Amino acid sequence: MSKIKFTYYPGCSSQGAGIHLDRSLHAISGKLDFEFETIKDWNCCGASVGHVKGGQLPSMALSGRNLALARQQGTADVVTPCAACYLNTHFVNERIKNDEKARGRVNEALDAGGLSYQGDLKVRHVCEVLVNDVGIDAIKDQVTNPLSGLKVAGYVGCQTVRPFAQTAPGGEFTTYDQPKFLDQFAEACGAEPVPYDKARTACCGGSVSIYSPEKTLHLMRLILQEAKDAKADVISTPCPLCQQNVEMYQDAINKEFGDSFNIPVVFYSQLMAVAFGMDGKKDAALDCNMIKPDKLIEKVK
Amino acid sequence: MTQSLIPTPARKYDLNFARWVYRNVEGGDRLSLCMQCGMCSGSCPIGAEMDNGPRKLFMMIRAGMKEEVLSSSTIWNCTQCYNCVVRCPRKVPVTYILQGLATVAAREGYAPAKATAKFSKAFWRSVRYFGRTDERMVTVLYYFSYGIKEGIKRALANLPIAQRMVKAGRMGIGLPHRAKGAGDLRAILAKADEIEARERAGQ
Repeated sequence: MSKIKFTYYPGCSSQGAGIHLDRSLHAISGKLDFEFETIKDWNCCGASVGHVKGGQLPSMALSGRNLALARQQGTADVVTPCAACYLNTHFVNERIKNDEKARGRVNEALDAGGLSYQGDLKVRHVCEVLVNDVGIDAIKDQVTNPLSGLKVAGYVGCQTVRPFAQTAPGGEFTTYDQPKFLDQFAEACGAEPVPYDKARTACCGGSVSIYSPEKTLHLMRLILQEAKDAKADVISTPCPLCQQNVEMYQDAINKEFGDSFNIPVVFYSQLMAVAFGMDGKKDAALDCNMIKPDKLIEKVK
Repeated sequence: MTQSLIPTPARKYDLNFARWVYRNVEGGDRLSLCMQCGMCSGSCPIGAEMDNGPRKLFMMIRAGMKEEVLSSSTIWNCTQCYNCVVRCPRKVPVTYILQGLATVAAREGYAPAKATAKFSKAFWRSVRYFGRTDERMVTVLYYFSYGIKEGIKRALANLPIAQRMVKAGRMGIGLPHRAKGAGDLRAILAKADEIEARERAGQ
């Protein structure tokens, strides 16, 4: 079986708070039809706060360097699993590709590091690749340990689908407001997606939740409340920051609003690793979740 | 405050400031298309934490209310969910404009005490020196940007979360993660700063 090759941009969270996304993705790539070659010596994308201090062109230069390094490694599409990395890298790539002035400015900066990039790569999100290139049926084919009876709330968040939901190639993989791919992933794994329409693409507060959580606890509360009302066993998400925020602030929300949330928040790739019959710790990285997904752990073969 | 390059309107409804924003803020060229429908403010999940909201802020730009615009909590509390961007019927890139205004306001000294500006400063320091975000370093720098006493208070308040992160293997206790080419990256960023400064001086 020849595998589709991608140049992989893991992003900073892959070495910290989102380590379980990176680990489980690599595990499932062994079973599915794709492989990653990581951008050698990648740097931060600037996330959603860098621009305030860093400025607009320096922020663009961050992604410019990653893209220049990716291009040195070949012409494979660049994929990333992180919402903010996808947003920034895709945005800068499109600017370099379509805007001559921006291309000139970014390249003048890159030249100081001996690099250049002309915009001839494609930047895509891992979920879109799973839908369009790998395919839901191929995911289904690998399931040896169906997650029967596991109720999953598919929480997409914002930047995975906004503003760049419809990214060529592959056409439309989802819509802004009611993307279906997390439910399709859960179903393919033999789990049961629960109705989750209000919070599916609601905002967890993003980086504001890191530096001023008092302003955004009520946003995360809505996300948790709908999952609880739908009797979800786990919330599944593609975004490292959503996973972290919605998981780690449950104590604070309970304290502030008198709730009693204790809902595990996992990555779709962790569900897949378990459904593929892989190791719960080494492959699915379930030891990395702060709220233990007990119902999912029970299913590990 | 450094010498401002942004024109200060001499009278009410002076278009100097609006024109400056149209030309110098990312996405600002589409701002003149805003028809004040309010889809942006109505779509905003964090509108309750904003003094004006984007719709009103955009009218204030047109009215030349430079000081009020650059001090507005609207530009600091945006969570960057992009609801407004995909819903705007005139395709005004609202989030990008708020980002651009935040950058300008921080540079011109309007926001020394704003959490967003403090956090961004800590974040950018990690990126600039190491090429990567080290979550431990960024949060500690941010907490202590409020002074030693407040820094210790905030660090202690967040210690339980940090301990759980360490236990879950999501927060290391070693040196910060670093890109090998962080030196090259610094040269690239310095050049980008230089280009922006040159453009500002020549505008």
